[in-house]
Amino acid sequence: MSSASMSTDCGRRCSATIRDGLFVMARRQRPPVEREGSQFRINIGRDERELIRRLMAEMRGLLTESTDDDGRMKRIFPAAYHQEVDREFNAEYQRLMREEILTSRLKGLDAVDSFMAQASGDRAMLTESQMMAFLQALNGVRLVLGTMLDITEDHDIAGVDENDPLVGEYNLYDFLSWILDWAVRAVQDA
Amino acid sequence: MSSPAPIVVDRPEQDESVSPDTPWIVLVWNDPINLMSYVTFVFQKLFGYSLEKATELMMDVHEKGRAVVSNGTREKAELDVFRLHEHGLWATMQRDDS
Repeated sequence: MSSASMSTDCGRRCSATIRDGLFVMARRQRPPVEREGSQFRINIGRDERELIRRLMAEMRGLLTESTDDDGRMKRIFPAAYHQEVDREFNAEYQRLMREEILTSRLKGLDAVDSFMAQASGDRAMLTESQMMAFLQALNGVRLVLGTMLDITEDHDIAGVDENDPLVGEYNLYDFLSWILDWAVRAVQDA
Repeated sequence: MSSPAPIVVDRPEQDESVSPDTPWIVLVWNDPINLMSYVTFVFQKLFGYSLEKATELMMDVHEKGRAVVSNGTREKAELDVFRLHEHGLWATMQRDDS
């Protein structure tokens, strides 16, 4: 597991340009996610919301178009039984539950897209159930992106060469980790 | 810590029909992507564990490579595995041979 050390002091990492230089996080006066009574406030502007909506759309495409043997999706549809003796149970699980996981994931993506589309100004207000969808959707994108980038436990964006062709994806991964970590804290801040 | 792939262990064939009440355990494996905070939160949400208990389990996963997070009949264990998969955790199940 990783500890999201960037969460306490996002600093230079979060001001890094993400994806083609189109998306730059501004210096922040407040955390990106806060609890407000029974709701949650996501302090992100239009560009960031649009970025998240694009990611949700890309994830939807991957979920609906990928085949069973797509390595990028191995963390989304993992095995349930790891012992050889249970391979038939596992095949049955894959046959029955893959569709359930797909349905659950798509429902979550739609929920996130919907509240991101309805938000305005520099924030989005979420109910508890919307927040749960947000957490799972963010983590789902991280699982796919992290698998594609072959992220290791000692991943550190500072170690990524700025000329690496995937530097934008690494920054995006860290951006998602940063928001997710704050979102978890907000939920636990009962 | 790197992320070990779940180990495939060869075991003698077992006929589950002989003992349908065989207890099963649900394991969560360490992986390099999931955040420690997120894993703790999922344990709290799905199993109703206190923050202390959930954190302890998460640290077990992180330091020992895996931890048993729940147990029960095969049906119950499979449902727990499914819910963990829905939340993106790396979970599998096996018969409890302890």
